[in-house]
Amino acid sequence: MNCQTQWYRNMDPKLVARRWFLKQCGIGLGGIALGELLGAESRAAADDPLAPKPPHFPAKAKRVIFLFMAGAPSHLELFDYKPALAKFNGSSPPAELLRGYRAAFINPNSKLLGPKFKFAKHGGQGAELSELLPHLASIVDEIAIVKSMTTDAFNHAPAQILMNTGSQQFGRPSLGSWATYGLGAETKDLPGFIVFSSGKKGPSGGNSNWGSGFLPTVHQGVLFRGSGDPVLYLSNPRGVDNAVQRDVVDAVRMLNQSRLDVVGDPEISTRISAFETAFRMQASAPEAMDLSREPKHILDLYGAEPGKPSFANNCLLARRLIERGVRIVELFHEAWDQHGNLVNDLKANCRDTDKASAALVKDLKQRGLLDDTLVIWGGEFGRTPMVQGGDDGRDHHPNAFTMWLAGGGIKPGITYGESDDLGFRTARDPVHVHDLHATILHLLGFDHTRLTYRSQGRDFRLTDVSGRVVKDLLA
Amino acid sequence: MLTRVGVPFPLANGRKSLGLAAILIAFACIRVNSISAGETKTIDFDRDVRPILSNHCFQCHGPDEARRKGKLRLDTAAGALGAGESGERAVVPGDPAASELYARITSTDPEAQMPPAKTGKPLKPEDINRIKTWIESGASYKRHWAFDPPKLVEVPKTRRVDWARNTIDSFILARLEKEGLEPSPEADRTTLLRRLSLDLIGLPPTIAEVDAFLADTSADAYEKQVDRLLASPHYGERWGRFWLDAARYADSDGFEKDKPREVWFYRDWVVSAFNRDLPYDRFVIEQLAGDLLENPTQDQIVATGYLRNSMINEEGGVDPEQFRMEAMFDRMDAIGKGILGLTIQCAQCHSHKYDPIGQDDYYRMFAFLNNCAEANVRVYTPDENRARIELLKKIRAIDEAWKADHPDWKIRMAEWEKRIAADQTAWTIVRPEVDDISTGGQKYLPLDDGSLLAQGYAPTKHTVKLTVRVDRPRVEAFRLELLLDANLPAGGPGRSIDGTCALTEFRVESAPANAPDKRIPVKFKAALADVNPIETELSPIFNDRSKRHRTTGPIALAIDGKDETAWGIDVGPGRSDRPREAIFVAEKPIENSGGTILTFYLAQNHGGWNSDDNQTNNLGRFRLSITERVDPSIVPVSPAIRSILAEPFEKRSAESNDAIFAVWSATLPERRSIHDQIEALWRSHPVGASQLTLKESDRPRVTYLLERGDFLKPKTRVEPGMPALFEPLSPAEPKNRLTLARRLVDRRSPTAARSIVNRIWQARFGTGIVSTSEDLGTQCDPPSHPELLDRLSVEFMNAGWSVKTLQKWISLSNTYRQSSRITKELRERDPANRLLARGPRYRLDAEIARDVALAASGLLNEKIGGPSVHPPAPQFLFEPPVSYGPKVWRESTGSDRYRRSLYTFRYRSVPYPALQTFDAPNGDFACARRTRSNTPLQALVTLNEPIFMECARALAKLTIDQGGADDQSRLEYAFRRTLARRPTEFESATLLLLFRRNERRFADPEAKPWDIAANDPAHPPDLPSGESPARLAAWTVVARALINLDETITLE
Repeated sequence: MNCQTQWYRNMDPKLVARRWFLKQCGIGLGGIALGELLGAESRAAADDPLAPKPPHFPAKAKRVIFLFMAGAPSHLELFDYKPALAKFNGSSPPAELLRGYRAAFINPNSKLLGPKFKFAKHGGQGAELSELLPHLASIVDEIAIVKSMTTDAFNHAPAQILMNTGSQQFGRPSLGSWATYGLGAETKDLPGFIVFSSGKKGPSGGNSNWGSGFLPTVHQGVLFRGSGDPVLYLSNPRGVDNAVQRDVVDAVRMLNQSRLDVVGDPEISTRISAFETAFRMQASAPEAMDLSREPKHILDLYGAEPGKPSFANNCLLARRLIERGVRIVELFHEAWDQHGNLVNDLKANCRDTDKASAALVKDLKQRGLLDDTLVIWGGEFGRTPMVQGGDDGRDHHPNAFTMWLAGGGIKPGITYGESDDLGFRTARDPVHVHDLHATILHLLGFDHTRLTYRSQGRDFRLTDVSGRVVKDLLA
Repeated sequence: MLTRVGVPFPLANGRKSLGLAAILIAFACIRVNSISAGETKTIDFDRDVRPILSNHCFQCHGPDEARRKGKLRLDTAAGALGAGESGERAVVPGDPAASELYARITSTDPEAQMPPAKTGKPLKPEDINRIKTWIESGASYKRHWAFDPPKLVEVPKTRRVDWARNTIDSFILARLEKEGLEPSPEADRTTLLRRLSLDLIGLPPTIAEVDAFLADTSADAYEKQVDRLLASPHYGERWGRFWLDAARYADSDGFEKDKPREVWFYRDWVVSAFNRDLPYDRFVIEQLAGDLLENPTQDQIVATGYLRNSMINEEGGVDPEQFRMEAMFDRMDAIGKGILGLTIQCAQCHSHKYDPIGQDDYYRMFAFLNNCAEANVRVYTPDENRARIELLKKIRAIDEAWKADHPDWKIRMAEWEKRIAADQTAWTIVRPEVDDISTGGQKYLPLDDGSLLAQGYAPTKHTVKLTVRVDRPRVEAFRLELLLDANLPAGGPGRSIDGTCALTEFRVESAPANAPDKRIPVKFKAALADVNPIETELSPIFNDRSKRHRTTGPIALAIDGKDETAWGIDVGPGRSDRPREAIFVAEKPIENSGGTILTFYLAQNHGGWNSDDNQTNNLGRFRLSITERVDPSIVPVSPAIRSILAEPFEKRSAESNDAIFAVWSATLPERRSIHDQIEALWRSHPVGASQLTLKESDRPRVTYLLERGDFLKPKTRVEPGMPALFEPLSPAEPKNRLTLARRLVDRRSPTAARSIVNRIWQARFGTGIVSTSEDLGTQCDPPSHPELLDRLSVEFMNAGWSVKTLQKWISLSNTYRQSSRITKELRERDPANRLLARGPRYRLDAEIARDVALAASGLLNEKIGGPSVHPPAPQFLFEPPVSYGPKVWRESTGSDRYRRSLYTFRYRSVPYPALQTFDAPNGDFACARRTRSNTPLQALVTLNEPIFMECARALAKLTIDQGGADDQSRLEYAFRRTLARRPTEFESATLLLLFRRNERRFADPEAKPWDIAANDPAHPPDLPSGESPARLAAWTVVARALINLDETITLE
């Protein structure tokens, strides 16, 4: 026992445990010991909530990158060109549209505001995009634009929570945690669900956007940072180098192992491997996060600059992480709440995000990863066709907005759904947040009605009691 | 199963394959089934049949009328045995063949088959068999056990008679005997004391405590330890935290702004309630309705903070009523999960699918709570209260002395009153319209009395524009009343955290009603107010980063045209929560024969820079009036004083007369020096803290059943009433919150005692008798020991709902004292330890795990109570783009850094990382049961997080200072501080090896031992003579290893 450090330094602690047990207890590969070990092994696998699991049916998407445009981008300036809105700029919206309509800030009867930017047709299908999105225009044949999104909430926090967890009420598991709950993790060296945040502010829903709700907490998203320590407490404390850290981790392992022999609690084995993983993560995470390892042309493609935190850096990091087996990466970029300063802010936001978002799709494609990586771009709701303030702002609007998806089994180069002439309501093929979730889960290989978790006496699911897979979006 | 054993099993040397023998062996193992909680031979409806029906049938054939199909109800005997829509009887007792239910579940016809294939919940063959057996044996129905009050079940007989120490043991042993299992031997004494200590006070025992216990050979040595720990003030801290999970406690609002809130008085009340062993029924009553008790104490009012731990959404653009309703739903949810152990929140949108809780039941209960104000009151610690009483006494003594010297004071005061009453100014209240764009996102709610109540988002700077048309031909002056409101901080009248406010500018424009565009500004010749503080610099909390010299002072500052100055009403702690009045007299009366359009601009620009924090200084509730003519004798008087003056002198209370006296006497020039004395006393008034509480509202609310729980879709009006699970109210019972509270924890309440007993059991043994502790309803996990739960619940109530008594029963039981060693047999047969053939072993809760490190290191500051503290945390978490808005996290220095984790400030949107990683809930919703994970991120915390590192350093230093002379004794010292027990030979050898390797390593001239061994290498601690920094560094390494052991953070 006293010499495990040297012998077993680089081995899986479970194997070490087993070898120790067999040797020390003087039992060879006899029936009982083996049976017990085998039982323990399969139990450990069954107990490991992050062990890889097959979905309900073969998945199109194995990984997800969600570019969450928090604050809610204006569909009317970016994707959903409305000549009628331009035409009726300055006039009152039709009364029948406003029946029962609640607005966050404005009097709903505020004047209509025409689109602020020019649009042009792009790609094989002639998808209309704003002049603010030249890079997206260059990959428009790779993406599916959904112009008929709707949601239930018109305040940021509840709407973001709805988009991320399928409920306006806090406390439900997030999309990412459902994904790792359903599929497990492909890597043990990194968390299965990783979150970044860039932009002006943090997301309105805070941590609950990537919480695990009632799912086991191992499924919650882990906040990574593009600079400094990528994961909290990843670096050794001052004065502790890797040799010292290894010494401590080794001693801890040996003592834990000897305790396991005495008390027999399998949780100790789990703890032993957790420490090994943590120690490995101390090396693997910085490597994964080191953008200086990327060639210049890739950095240029994204507009990423090592050491300068940005959305572009996060996009590139997302790619590096999914390459290393991370299941879902969500990038929050909170910048889109243009109650005022619509024109200048949108220019700046698109400058910050358009190139990198498009680069991510291109880069995934050139690496052959786009086929089984789903990329989602969008915010929590849209913006009012009515003006807020003078003539340079729009209020929150849940009735119609636009998102786009790419890769991972999504039909490329299509536009799905329509909003009405003023961009006020969906006019054709509405896609509710629940429908989006059902579709994402479908791409991940799940029947959304069957990916459930029993809590508080009933089976919960991401899509609550609704959700429809949008078949037309599937490749 | 075969497929699983077919998976190649990696051998230690990496080669695969095992051969047939292994497969056979493994296959043989599967016969040994794990034990699920409730498994025996005869059919029991509650245990064997209801779960099947509940899971597969109740959704369409259960309590929810709206969704019921075929008019068939299977959750009651009447429903199942009567004829359904088809005329067939679903269940014919004794005759499966004649039972339509059986026909349907065995049918292969997709049209007839139940449950329908599309539900995706097919019945297993064994389920079908059970239903068949049940029908054959008479199809007896029983109400779900939890819906009838618990009964004093008889204690079972056991074969073994020498084991049971108390009732608990008899029930546990009886079941073990039925399963053919033996209880484990008692744990060794050190393990037992550590277990008990962690369980009861959340801290490990000290070496001295262990030694004292080991040396105590008396028969009741263990019981003495139980009593000692139950009497410790730390008991309340450990168990207070237990309750705070269910009470969804946090120190911030949640949602986007997630502003800090002061609610630690509630936290401390909970701690103290556990320490006092406040009977649990009383504990619940005070939290739900402490304010409605007769002459409630401050504590009892603070207790209602329980209901206020809901989140508050003050992001711009919210409808405050929507989020008030969200908070109401949250309260119902918390009562359901935390007090009743029932998922009543399901009935918010529709009648419960499984339990007999109708949607009307839900809203009847809701109606008890609905008529409330979301109050925020000033509270004082006992010391502060003493100081307050002392101060008021002194002021009174001064006044009484003066009155004695001036016997004519009454006459003079009466004259003054007459002068005020002579003011003939007639005011007309105006109800202006609020310009939406001007509010900066704040909502102005018009109230019936013509006042406007500020709600929702609180911008720190805005100028609200209010427009009203008045028909009077002449307007000479305007009156602005600042009014109190229970929903405002400290009761108002302002929205600042102290309930104060500042009016930067008061402007009015007038235009003839027939020419609204011809607006001209109104010039004022005078501004009067009932309070005119001297001009002082704005408090630092309102710093707007502009570097301007900003002040508040007398009313004249509200019409001086300057953005830097404002009328302030802050006259210091203890008396700023008064309604106020200001009067603005126009230079020239406004005269328009056809009426006038008045536009008011109330500039409120005296808040701070950060609207995402508590830096607003806005008006809270105010009312505007106009007058045609100002009486020259006018004296501005606070609305509160005016209402007292309206009463005749003789009929006034002493307090009222004191209030008048205070106002009048302040006007007397002769009292100048006395006045200054009194003012000085007031300035020493304690500031106190604020606390969110619930208060009955003076504006009654009507409650409606809401369609699908949507507050915009009220359906039918409902009156307060008990849900059908409870006995109906008698006419003698008032329909208020207090009645609800009393009923919830009445002895007849079916689940209240069971719920808390089960949760305490869960906290002590790792799993509840019902593992789904938030849900004891139909869908709950079957109890492992239902009779024990009932018996304990009744005994608990008989013991006066005494939680400490229950803790003692558990602590003294042999069940609890068993060794937690897991044998092969137990691992196979009862991996979750539901049968308790061994003692508990599980990873400690986040707070306790962290506190163990603090305690072992000697750093722990044992101070109890007070404001939450801010131990080190990465600053970037509190700043954008991680946090929505910038948050304040001023790292605590000194001993506040090392307070128990209970006191760590809890931001809901940015949970404290070291605690969150170990599964501490963030307070978004009530949590009756934490998850318990075991992850690499936890390892990173204990290895690298600064406080854990500081603990390692401190433990190392203590080890050198106090651990004895030689390394072996030092090692034992450090080991025992952490784990209580002594190290084994192997453990000693391993750790001493670690020590020596690192001693050598840090003795290297190139090494920097202080980097690891000192918190501040520039100021290293003193070392005893003969000790080197290298040795301290090496002990730090050893201490880190100890702090990182599995056993350290485990209750064993």
